[in-house]
Amino acid sequence: MGIDFTNNVTAGGHQVADQLAASFKEISDLRAALDEHAIVAITDPQGRITYVNDKFCAISKYSRTELLGQDHRIINSGHHPKEFIRDLWTTIARGKVWKGVIKNRAKDGTFYWVDTTIVPFLNDQGKPRQYIAIRADITARKMAEEALRQSEARLQTIVESLDEGLVVADLRGQLLHFNHAALEMHGYSSLAECRRHFQELPDTFELHAMDGTVWPVGQWPLARILRGEKLHDLEVRIRRINEAGWERVFSYGGMLVNDATGMPMMAIVTISDITERVRAAAEIRHLNTALEQRVIERTAQLEMANKELEAFSYSVSHDLRSPLRAVDGFSQAVLEDYGDQLPEEGRRYLQSIRAGAQRMGALIDDLLAFSRLSRQALERQVVNADALVRAALEELAPLQQGRRIEWRIDKLPACQCDPMLLRQVWVNLLSNALKYTRKRDPAVIEIGCQTNSGSRVFWVRDNGTGFDMQYAPKLFGVFQRLHRAEDYEGTGVGLAIVQRVIHRHGGRVWTEAQVDRGATFYFTLEEGITL
Amino acid sequence: MTAINPVEILLVEDNPQDVELTLRAFKKANLTNYIHVARDGAEALEFIFCEGPHAGRKIQNGPKVILLDLKLPKVDGLEVLQRIKRDPRTQMIPVVVLTSSKEQRDVVESYKLGTNSYIVKPVKFEQFIEAVQQLGLYWTLLNNPPTGGG
Repeated sequence: MGIDFTNNVTAGGHQVADQLAASFKEISDLRAALDEHAIVAITDPQGRITYVNDKFCAISKYSRTELLGQDHRIINSGHHPKEFIRDLWTTIARGKVWKGVIKNRAKDGTFYWVDTTIVPFLNDQGKPRQYIAIRADITARKMAEEALRQSEARLQTIVESLDEGLVVADLRGQLLHFNHAALEMHGYSSLAECRRHFQELPDTFELHAMDGTVWPVGQWPLARILRGEKLHDLEVRIRRINEAGWERVFSYGGMLVNDATGMPMMAIVTISDITERVRAAAEIRHLNTALEQRVIERTAQLEMANKELEAFSYSVSHDLRSPLRAVDGFSQAVLEDYGDQLPEEGRRYLQSIRAGAQRMGALIDDLLAFSRLSRQALERQVVNADALVRAALEELAPLQQGRRIEWRIDKLPACQCDPMLLRQVWVNLLSNALKYTRKRDPAVIEIGCQTNSGSRVFWVRDNGTGFDMQYAPKLFGVFQRLHRAEDYEGTGVGLAIVQRVIHRHGGRVWTEAQVDRGATFYFTLEEGITL
Repeated sequence: MTAINPVEILLVEDNPQDVELTLRAFKKANLTNYIHVARDGAEALEFIFCEGPHAGRKIQNGPKVILLDLKLPKVDGLEVLQRIKRDPRTQMIPVVVLTSSKEQRDVVESYKLGTNSYIVKPVKFEQFIEAVQQLGLYWTLLNNPPTGGG
C-alpha cells in the first residue's frame, strides 16, 4: 500500500475515533470510485512503482508483482522523444501537476494510449514524497484519430497526384484549395496565392467561350456551379493576363457537394487542360479539309483524263475509220468497175488492200470495245450463268456450223455480275474454244463450275491446239497473239477483254494448257459475291 | 428545160470520199431519186429551212428522207438533228443518222433527239434499203413518179 491512511493517527477519544473512522470510510469509498474509473499507479520519488490498481494491471497485462518495484520504463513504448519524458519528470519533480497523453506498451507488445495526470504529493519540505498517476484509456479514440488521419493523408495524396485540376470553394465563392495540378495549370506557385474570392480573379484571368466571346465573372464555371448548375466538359479558353499572356483551353466540370444531411457544403471544380487535344483536333480538321480539297482536285483531274480519253476514242472511231473506208471502198469500186481490165495479180493486190483495211477496222473496233469496258459503269445483278452461256452459244452458232462438237456443260449456279459484260466473257472464251478446236473431229468443249475453298471457279476446257505455258503470261495482254494469223485469225483483244471484265468484278482469271492437248481457262468472280 | 426535181433525199456529209462512195452505191442500185448533198451542218440547215441560196425552195417540197452524218464542220450533226426535230414544219421528215462506229454515245444521243434509224458507214445500198424499209419509206422512194414536166 502506498497511501498509508493509518499513519500518524493517534487515539484521541471516542468521538475522534468515530470521525476518523468516517473519514477513512469516505477516503476508502473515493479510492474505490477512482479505481473503478481510472488506471492508477503510485511511484516513489525515484520513480519506482509502489502501487498499481487492477485496471493498471489489466491494461498493461503485467501482474502486480511484476510491476511493483519497477519503474515506468517497463511500459515505455519508445514513441515519445527523450525531451518529452524529461519535461514530464522536471515538472513533477518541481511539485507541479503534469498532464499529457502517453503511448505505452503492454507486456504482449501491443500499444495503448492513456490520458495521464500525475500529481506529486509533497513532504513537509515541499519536496515530492510520492507521485500518483491517474490515467484514462483513450486507445480507441487515438486509433480512430489515427485511422482518420491516415485516410485523410491517403485522400490528400490522391487529390494531389491527380492529373486533373481540382479546386474547392466554399458556398460564398471563397477559394479554399487548389490541388497540385490546379496550381500548375493556373501558373500559381503556392496555395496562399490562390486563396482568394473567385470574383477577384478577373485581375489575373480572362475566360472566353470557344467562339471568343468574353465571359464576365458571373458566367465563369464556378459562378454557375454556385448557382446550382452541374457542369460537364465545358470548354473554355483561359488567358492569364498579367504574365506572359499564355492562353490555353480548359475543360471544366463540377458541382455543389452536399453534407450528410443533404445540405450544400462546398463547390468542387474539376479542370482538364485540353489545349493539345483541341490543337490536334483543329489540325486534323485542317488536314481533312486539305485532303478533301485534294480528292476534289484529283477527281477533277481524273474526270478530265477520262473525258480526254473518251474524246480520243471518239475521234479514233470517227476519224481513223474514214480513210479506211476510202481505201476499202475505192478498192472495191476499182474491182467492180475495172476488174476485168486488170491482170489477175492486180486484182489480188486490190483484195489484199481491202483485207488490210478491213483488218485495221476490226482492230479499231476491238480496241474501242476494250476501252469502253473501263469507262462503262458495272451494273451488277443476280444472273443465271446457264442463261448467259446459252446466249453466248446462240451468238456463236455460225462458228459451229458444219462441225462435230461434243458439248459437256455442267449445271451452272447463279452469280452476281454485270450480265452484258459477263456474257462477253463467255462469248470470248467459247469462241476461242471453237476457234482452236477447228482441226479436231469431234471438238470436245467442257463448261463447268466448282467451289474451291469458298470461291466459285468457272472454267472452259477444250481439246484444241493448246499452247506452250511459257507464253501464258502474255496471253491476256492487248494485241498479244500466240498463233500466226494465217493459222488462226483474230486481233488479240478477246482475252484482254476477258481479263478486264473479270478484274472489274474483283475476280481472277488464269489458264492451263499444253501444246496440242487443249487449254482450260478458269475464272472467279469477287469472293463472297458468287451466290 | 426540165423543172427542178423535188428533192427526195438529202445527204449531209462532209467527207468527199464518203459522198462519192454513197452516191456510187445508190447509182449502182439504180436508185433514181434526186439526191442533194450538203457538205456541212450550216449548209444542211439552209437547205432544209429554205434559207440563203435555197430561199426559193419550198419547205414542203421535201426532202423525203435525210441521211445525216454526225461529225460535220460548222454545225454538227446532233445540232442539225435537234433543229429538224424541234421545228413542226420539219419534224416529220425521217432522219437516218450515219455513224462511223457503234460508239454508244452517238447512237444513244441521236435516238434521244428523235432520229429514226441509223446506218454504220460505209453506206452500202443494202443497209440503206433496210433502213428506209424500217421507216416505211421504201415504196415512196422507189415508186417515184417520173420526174420532169411540172
